[in-house]
Amino acid sequence: MASETTHDVAHTAMTLIDQLPVLQILIPLVAAPLLVLLGTKRLSWAITFIASVLAFAVSIALLWLVKDGGFISYELGGWAPPLGIEYRVDAANAFVLLLISGISTVILPFAYTSVRAEIAERHHTLFYSCYLLCLTGLLGVVITGDAFNVFVFLEISSLSTYALIATGAGKNKRALTAAYDYLVMGTIGATFFVIGLGFLYMATGTLNMADIAERIADQGANRTIQAAFAFIIVGMGLKAAIYPLHLWLPNAYTYAPSAVTVFLAATATKAAIYVILRFSFSVFQPEFMFETLTFEYLVLPLALLAMFAASFIAIFQTDLKRLLAYSSLAQIGYMLLGIALMNETGITAAIVHLFNHGITKAVLFMGVGAIVLRTGSSFLYRIQGMGRVMPVTAAAMVVGGLSLIGVPGTAGFISKWVLVQGALEKGWWPIAVLIVLSSLLAVIYVWRMVEILYLSSPVVGADKREAPLTMTIPMVIMAGACVYFGFATDITIGASTTAAQGLLGGTTGMIEVIETATQAGH
Amino acid sequence: MSNSPKTNPNDDPSTYPLLGRMMLWTDKKKNVDWIVRGLYAICTALFLADFVYYKKVYLGMEKIPGFYAMYGFFMCAALVICARGMRVFLKRDEEFYAPHDVESEEFPDDQLEKVDYNA
Amino acid sequence: MPDVFPISLIFFFGAALLLLLPKGHLRAALLLIVPILAGTMLWNLPAGNLWTATIMGFDLEFMRVDKLSRLFGLIFCVAAFLGNLYAWHVRDTIQQVAALLYAGSAIGAVFAGDLISLFFYWEGTAIASVFLIWARRTEGAYHTGMRYLIVQIASGVILLAGAAVFYGETGSITFEKMTLGSLGTWLIFIAFGIKCAFPLMHNWLQDSYPAATVTGTVVLSAFTTKLAVYALARGFPGTEILIYIGAIMTLFPIFYAVIENDLRRVLAYSLNNQLGFMVVGVGIGTELALNGTAAHAFAHILYKALLFMSVGAVLFRTGTAKGSELGGLYKTMPLTMIFCVIGAASISAFPLFSGFISKSLILSAASHDGYYVVWAILLFASAGVFHHSGIKIPYFAFFAHDSGLRPKEAPTHMLLAMGLTAFLCIAVGVYPIPLYEMLPFEIDYVPYTTTHVITQLQLLFFSALAFAVLMRTGIYPPELKSVNLDSDVVYRWFLPRLIAKIATGVARVWNAKTSFWITRYNNVVRGLYHTHGPEGRMARAWPTGSMVIWLAVLLGISLLINFVS
Repeated sequence: MASETTHDVAHTAMTLIDQLPVLQILIPLVAAPLLVLLGTKRLSWAITFIASVLAFAVSIALLWLVKDGGFISYELGGWAPPLGIEYRVDAANAFVLLLISGISTVILPFAYTSVRAEIAERHHTLFYSCYLLCLTGLLGVVITGDAFNVFVFLEISSLSTYALIATGAGKNKRALTAAYDYLVMGTIGATFFVIGLGFLYMATGTLNMADIAERIADQGANRTIQAAFAFIIVGMGLKAAIYPLHLWLPNAYTYAPSAVTVFLAATATKAAIYVILRFSFSVFQPEFMFETLTFEYLVLPLALLAMFAASFIAIFQTDLKRLLAYSSLAQIGYMLLGIALMNETGITAAIVHLFNHGITKAVLFMGVGAIVLRTGSSFLYRIQGMGRVMPVTAAAMVVGGLSLIGVPGTAGFISKWVLVQGALEKGWWPIAVLIVLSSLLAVIYVWRMVEILYLSSPVVGADKREAPLTMTIPMVIMAGACVYFGFATDITIGASTTAAQGLLGGTTGMIEVIETATQAGH
Repeated sequence: MSNSPKTNPNDDPSTYPLLGRMMLWTDKKKNVDWIVRGLYAICTALFLADFVYYKKVYLGMEKIPGFYAMYGFFMCAALVICARGMRVFLKRDEEFYAPHDVESEEFPDDQLEKVDYNA
Repeated sequence: MPDVFPISLIFFFGAALLLLLPKGHLRAALLLIVPILAGTMLWNLPAGNLWTATIMGFDLEFMRVDKLSRLFGLIFCVAAFLGNLYAWHVRDTIQQVAALLYAGSAIGAVFAGDLISLFFYWEGTAIASVFLIWARRTEGAYHTGMRYLIVQIASGVILLAGAAVFYGETGSITFEKMTLGSLGTWLIFIAFGIKCAFPLMHNWLQDSYPAATVTGTVVLSAFTTKLAVYALARGFPGTEILIYIGAIMTLFPIFYAVIENDLRRVLAYSLNNQLGFMVVGVGIGTELALNGTAAHAFAHILYKALLFMSVGAVLFRTGTAKGSELGGLYKTMPLTMIFCVIGAASISAFPLFSGFISKSLILSAASHDGYYVVWAILLFASAGVFHHSGIKIPYFAFFAHDSGLRPKEAPTHMLLAMGLTAFLCIAVGVYPIPLYEMLPFEIDYVPYTTTHVITQLQLLFFSALAFAVLMRTGIYPPELKSVNLDSDVVYRWFLPRLIAKIATGVARVWNAKTSFWITRYNNVVRGLYHTHGPEGRMARAWPTGSMVIWLAVLLGISLLINFVS
């Protein structure tokens, strides 16, 4: 794959803008082996950071190009789809690309200190190499327009994720078990996904998403396609940590190094949610009965279950990282709920929440990471009163907590507001009530966090200093983003609405893509 | 108060600021009487002034000579007497709302700069 | 477009910048620069809707500049400057940030052209200002601040509800002249009314202002209530009920002011009384009356700040602002005394002082439009305000019986702030033309006529005469350490006790049933903990096997649903 892309750049170099989609993947992908080849511990962070910044810049440019509803189609190696691999960027995935690369860029300065504290120095090069691969994988999953390519990138990100989680073993051996468990479960999930793709290929004879969509639209649904949908939803559901398939997540988040937790929590499940969105609305037809029913009778109840059960579990947790992990599960419930509503507002809510929850959780997990740096633990009784000695960290966490609850003026409010609107549009007002009720549960666990941080005295033996600037600045940026996106909704709601419209446009949009691609390609 | 003028041996009027010293005469009962007499005189003059100029007013009652004067005097007297009467019903001990009220508290000293002039 | 931005941002950025500066003169200087910057920018802005943001489909107007909003914005900047100069000595970060955010929110609210941005700033003033009370850092101040915050937040919530209902009724969120009648407009009206301290909604004012810090009260006195007056003038001009509400507002506080002991609370009552004049002006709603309201708000902010500053200086030097403890301070604080007298003369509307040229606009408007009873009440209130603010405050603080306190003169920056404010009070009184030119409507009014000057002097001097006579006959109520019951007794004393009584009664009945329910509740919590707690079934760790089962189950269900359809 890599050689193919490099080759492409060599002989069809047009303007830089035309190459943006491939650069998005190429930059981190090339940087990863570069780290290992250079083998220098000193430069590894810097190269990672530069690669991430460049990827972020590319994703901004991409979102800029498609934010008003356009499409970019990029043919890898000059092979036109459906035979060749196609990267396709529209508002939906450009927005997710922006989230992933943006989060990665902001948290890397945080990771610098955190990784030095939590991971043995000899592993640093490999750690950052894995990190870049994970980033590549997540970006690739999102950007590609080829169904099998999704699986390939998914595996790249998953394998590197297992390794990243395992690096937490230096602090707590249970990280190994967590990584191993995730490996087993993740592989099962990926297998389900690839089985689903197999069915799809069987039914349509193509792997290009747009092409599949067209064929499905032509021939209508049959058993094979229905089975494919079930496998893909369940397989991806595991990656997205839909409620009863979430069991890998709490341990993975708890025992992974803090920097990894921040990155995974803010991006990994989001990429999986994106894939569910893409397959449900662009590849399969939302008009098909089986899809509607699956969402209504399977995803919707599970989403509601997640919103309540995971929140209850979060309330009773004794470890802050784990508390936040369960809260993530509950928040994923909101996104799935938005998808399950299957109307434009609902999908907008899902995409907005995907973004807003990403930045919210980034703040919170970074805060935990900073506290872990000072106390060496994330158990609630060990971090008591740290809010008093780490005022900036704690303040940022409070902002994140407010956003998690959905207090007006924070990003979390915007997405819940849109979600409630989506439920009301559908006439499902009991669901709207449930959304508000589950937010009350969030009040309880966020309050627990605030109480622990502020209302008791620090335990003896903790390092009573504020976190270093490399950690506080990313936190403040993210907390600022939580507030900023609570007011400036142009970017988030605008891009999400365009994305939702594009997704609900279904096949028509996809066919258009192919046409534009053919014209623009050569 | 703890530092009443009798108990404060350092109190020396000659060290007061110039403006303060210039007004010390208002402390004397005799001089206060003169101030009040001055007030009587001004009031009489203002009352009589109503007869010497053309009063350009809108309302009938305003035309009554000394209307504003009478109104001011009697209404204020009534105000004070009513308010005094209200005290019978409304006055409570300073501790009435304590401890949920600032009335019974001392103002925290660290936010003040109490400086005794004589110190 | 890009060179215009919401003026409130200057204050918010100022507050952020403040945190980066070291404590000391640099910060105090920043606190002065911010309002100057904002004021200059404001002065040079053209009229119109200058800055619109679209949020969730609503066009929010953050910079509606016209003559009315510009006048209020300017005087708010002036007040912020004077208040911050007065607070030069304060090194408390919380108070400094709160003062900036508070002024910024108030100015933001003045320029808000729609109900949603108004709501945000409205709550902003509530939240920022409470810290000026809490900054006193006593238990009483904490409780008072809490009461204040609840009332203010309630006002904001009612405003939001009103805005939502109003939007439902009209499909518009523009903040323009409204007509009372529908539920939405009534809610908005009540929200404004709470902040404007309408009768029976007024107690938060007298309760909280004397509880703030020395400098906090000066800042508090300028913004919240005048913002409400502005909102009324913008939203409900010519609403007749306001005339009567305003008249009652001018009337009842003066009785309380006469018997109140805490001089800062006396000033709070007189503030309430002065608001009444402005509300009457809004209610009459003619051009003359609205001009009167705007001019009076302008003059009022200055002289009320001056009075609070002088009493604050006394408190700063002696530790008390109670009439019963003070007296004879002129000997060692003569300058403060003079400034206090200037403020007193201004609020009493002595010719050549600011109150004279603004209050008469409202009185004239009342008599021109035939509200004779209201006019008579206002005249009485004018005499009354002279009585308690004009005479009582300076007399009991600086003269009366010698308390033996010999405090040093107020610090230089306070004298400077007071001197500047006093200068403005006199300047406006002597030469009102520039102020008149800034008023929202064209004005053709000459305050200094023989009739007006002589009748006003008659009113004031005979009021003084009444004071002298009552004082010498011993009828005047002496200053006593006391608390006077106001309508807040209902929620501060009566209701808590009533609830306690009922609670005890209910508890008796309840106790019989309680054990049953407690057991139930405990069982539920225990059950939840059992299933959801760290060791619970729902949260169990190391669950590879169980998840594979779940995976199979879900796939089964999913396939079933797909195939059945």
